[in-house]
Amino acid sequence: MGLSLPLPEGPAAWSRLRWRNLPREARDTLFLLGVIAWTVLPHLGRLPLWCAALTGAVLLWRARLAVTQRALPGRWVLLAVLLLAAGLTAWSFRTLLGKEPGVTMAVVLMALKTLELRARRDAFVVFFLGFFLVLTHFLYSQSLAVAAAMLVSVWGLLTALVLAHMPVGQPSLRQAGALSARTAALGAPIMVLLFVLFPRIGPLWGVPQEGIGKTGLSSSMRMGSMAEVALDDSVALRLRFDGAPPPPEAMYFRGPVLSRFDGLEWRPLSPSFPNALQPKANLRVAGVPLRYEMTLEPLRLRVLPLLEATGDAPLAEGLRVAQREDLQWVAEQPVLERLRFTATAYPRFQHGPVQAVLGLQDHLELPPGYNPRTLAWAAALRRDPLYAQADARTLAGVVLQHIRRGQYTYTLSPGAYGRDAVDEFWFDRREGFCEHFAAAFVVVMRALDVPARIVTGFQGAEPVPVDGYYIVRQSSAHAWAEYWVKGTGWVRADPTAAVAPERISSGRNLQAPTGLVAGAIGTVDPALLARLRNGWEAVNNRWNQWVLNYARGQQRDLLKTLGFSTADWEDLALLLIGSLSALALAGAAWAAWDRWRAEPRQRQFDRARRALQRLGLAAEAHDTPRTLASRVRARFGADGEALAAALEAVEAQRYARAGPGGPGPDPIRALVAAARALQPLAGR
Amino acid sequence: MNPVGAARAHFRRWFQSRLPRSDTTTLTQRNVYILPTRAGLMFGLTLLVLLLASINYQLNLGYVLTFLLAGSGVVSMHLTHGTLRGLTLRLKPPAPVFAGEAAALEAVLTSPRGARYGIGLKVLDAADTTLGWVDVPAGGQAVAHLSFVPLQRGRHALPALSAETRFPLGLFRAWTVWRPASELLVYPAPERPAAPMPPASAVSGGPASARRSEGGEVEGVRGYRRGDPLKQVAWKKAASSLEVGGDLVSRDTSSSATQQLWLDWQACGALPPEQRLSRLAAWTLAAQRLGLDHGLRLPGVQIDPAGGDAQRRRCLEALALWA
Repeated sequence: MGLSLPLPEGPAAWSRLRWRNLPREARDTLFLLGVIAWTVLPHLGRLPLWCAALTGAVLLWRARLAVTQRALPGRWVLLAVLLLAAGLTAWSFRTLLGKEPGVTMAVVLMALKTLELRARRDAFVVFFLGFFLVLTHFLYSQSLAVAAAMLVSVWGLLTALVLAHMPVGQPSLRQAGALSARTAALGAPIMVLLFVLFPRIGPLWGVPQEGIGKTGLSSSMRMGSMAEVALDDSVALRLRFDGAPPPPEAMYFRGPVLSRFDGLEWRPLSPSFPNALQPKANLRVAGVPLRYEMTLEPLRLRVLPLLEATGDAPLAEGLRVAQREDLQWVAEQPVLERLRFTATAYPRFQHGPVQAVLGLQDHLELPPGYNPRTLAWAAALRRDPLYAQADARTLAGVVLQHIRRGQYTYTLSPGAYGRDAVDEFWFDRREGFCEHFAAAFVVVMRALDVPARIVTGFQGAEPVPVDGYYIVRQSSAHAWAEYWVKGTGWVRADPTAAVAPERISSGRNLQAPTGLVAGAIGTVDPALLARLRNGWEAVNNRWNQWVLNYARGQQRDLLKTLGFSTADWEDLALLLIGSLSALALAGAAWAAWDRWRAEPRQRQFDRARRALQRLGLAAEAHDTPRTLASRVRARFGADGEALAAALEAVEAQRYARAGPGGPGPDPIRALVAAARALQPLAGR
Repeated sequence: MNPVGAARAHFRRWFQSRLPRSDTTTLTQRNVYILPTRAGLMFGLTLLVLLLASINYQLNLGYVLTFLLAGSGVVSMHLTHGTLRGLTLRLKPPAPVFAGEAAALEAVLTSPRGARYGIGLKVLDAADTTLGWVDVPAGGQAVAHLSFVPLQRGRHALPALSAETRFPLGLFRAWTVWRPASELLVYPAPERPAAPMPPASAVSGGPASARRSEGGEVEGVRGYRRGDPLKQVAWKKAASSLEVGGDLVSRDTSSSATQQLWLDWQACGALPPEQRLSRLAAWTLAAQRLGLDHGLRLPGVQIDPAGGDAQRRRCLEALALWA
């Protein structure tokens, strides 16, 4: 943290602060506070300001108490602060339930609990709360950077835990850190095993609804709702082509098709005619097919944004998708995990009914009472004798021409639009981004009696030179339009391209302002920034492919490679239980072997002792060989000389300096043999 | 006590009585026990919550975290057990103490290999706060100091001891129960404040003359007894005695002493027996402090007057064991 510790004044106090000179307890507490601060830190940007301030203040207060070794505050103070925090949380979020309020409260609780480190139990509460806080970061991001930061957190927490169980002296942090790292490293095989084999099941309750909780494409569109997506620079999907990749301007990834307009919001069509009468997709393809592999991030939508136009169902294990009449590919359930599949697209295609059919009526509807000026403008155009006989294609050309010439500007921050958003856009403000253009185009086309609809999805892709992947970011989210032409079917029209062709042709997405560091690098050397970014993307891609992407499909593939025919979760559970049992057995075996390894000398000597006991001699564990030798002499006299000598040899060997010739003959064996020889005499 | 508690106590006694008594014990898989602690159970609960969160939010990194912690927990179980396993405990013979005073026990822990941390020793039935913590260096030894307070005089078997550890993560507690074979001699608690000592008396026949006739040595020498001061050894006689395979010879001071202090059971008035023993113990200590030769008379026991540490020990031992 950029904050400094409130230091006590005076040189004596300063020297007390030196890490080594700190009393054990103060040092351990400061270390734990540091780990907690590190764990909380990435959350601070997301939390309300008061929470960050409160947490920082509490941690610093606690640090001060530790350094000055003063008493902790009473429970009533804590309770008061806790109530205050709960009140502020309720005030900030208007609720205490949900992700953000939950995380806020967890952070505050964690900080407050450090003020209550009295018993061992309190310390454990801090540790376990810490592990939970680590998890909450993954709700926001599972990137490599977050993973690395949280690995440090877990290591720190484990180190603090180890320190708490080394009560003697002042063990160094390095020592405790090494011990905790060793523990975690030894546990890593178990982690890998569990990670690979633990059956991935869907959410147990509260199944996330479509499009909720994540920014991205959604199944409805409201003016302005997409601005957020455009600012989200996270990856939506990656793809790799088998052959020559198409030019970026041809890369349209078809998402939800929105046809129903209530004046404010665009939604998918709920057909007013029976399904049998719906116009069929009727995809007609030409040209060379293009095979591609796609890794799709969980967009929490049923629609898979596939490259236009993908003809055959994408191939992936456990993925059941169907193509709808409007050419979207829809899965049975919202996609909640990363998917990897291969599919084939045809860059040249036509689709939709060739002749006018009943279902097309749905794409002409406009809500009454909205956007009257636009409707009037369209009616005026329609009355123009020049276009009296014009077909849909000509009319679309005229409208696009109007957009191109009409001083429309493309901007990411057009501001809020009112009730008659299209009117406002079309005549007054003339600025907006893809969804404004698409929506206005569709409204105008419908007003001109041409069936039209909005298609949302992604447009363009960013090549990553390092590993041949293309990346499509959330910020590439796009909306375009389709209108129906008799004899051809649905035809794509991208009105945004009319004003901002570079948005389409270069495939460059809508970039949010870059961060400070990236900005600095970018000013000095834009190429370096690009290279760094590409290298990072490649590493991140591996991370995604191997760690984050690991899901049911990959598990099934693994089982198949291992020779399981059915490859369902029961096999997985069986395999998991089997491996864990084997591991447990191995652990027990190690412990047993460890016992034998413990003291070879002791074991040998026990053997010798048993031989002596068979002779009727009292040979206890604490008796030294020399004592036993004198006992043998006393009992057997000259007859026992060989045995006594063997015993003395054992003693001599035990205390002998290690000679260069290695160990001599095994004295225990000689001893046992001598004892056996005496056996007949023992009966006397 | 409720029946469950009684049954548990009974089981405990039975279990402990099965353990062999030995001053040296090597901890193996057979005598190191391990169970999760309360914190360990809490840790399990935390893991469950983390797992549920990972499942419900479909967080692969959450799985990684959960399983990393689970793996560390399992490994910590082995490490906790391994901290005790292979350790050799040896008890140094305890010095006698007075009843009501803390008896200091010293246990030497030897680790054949590997450093071991955070091992706590205590008397089995004592509170957890009495744990004495030691670290044992790799291949080395460490001494743990324990204490317990014997309340009654006599020769007592040492109480069962326990060694435990929660290292490294505190999720599991491994412990062992050890019954040392050594016995502890407990002298009666000296009376405080001590009553005034009986007066010393001049030699006058009685036991001294009787003993002289027993010994048959007019010069007043007798066989060396352990604890006799060296200045009392009659060296010339001792040399001739050693020549023929005998023992050292001491001058019999009691016979030559003019003053004798008899600490007598009968001199303690009408006190109950244990309090008499306490008073006699206090007198013994006082006589020792004053450097007086003293003898002890108990019903059925008589120790002739002598001085020195050996005499003190002899007297206190007699007091401790008198029945």
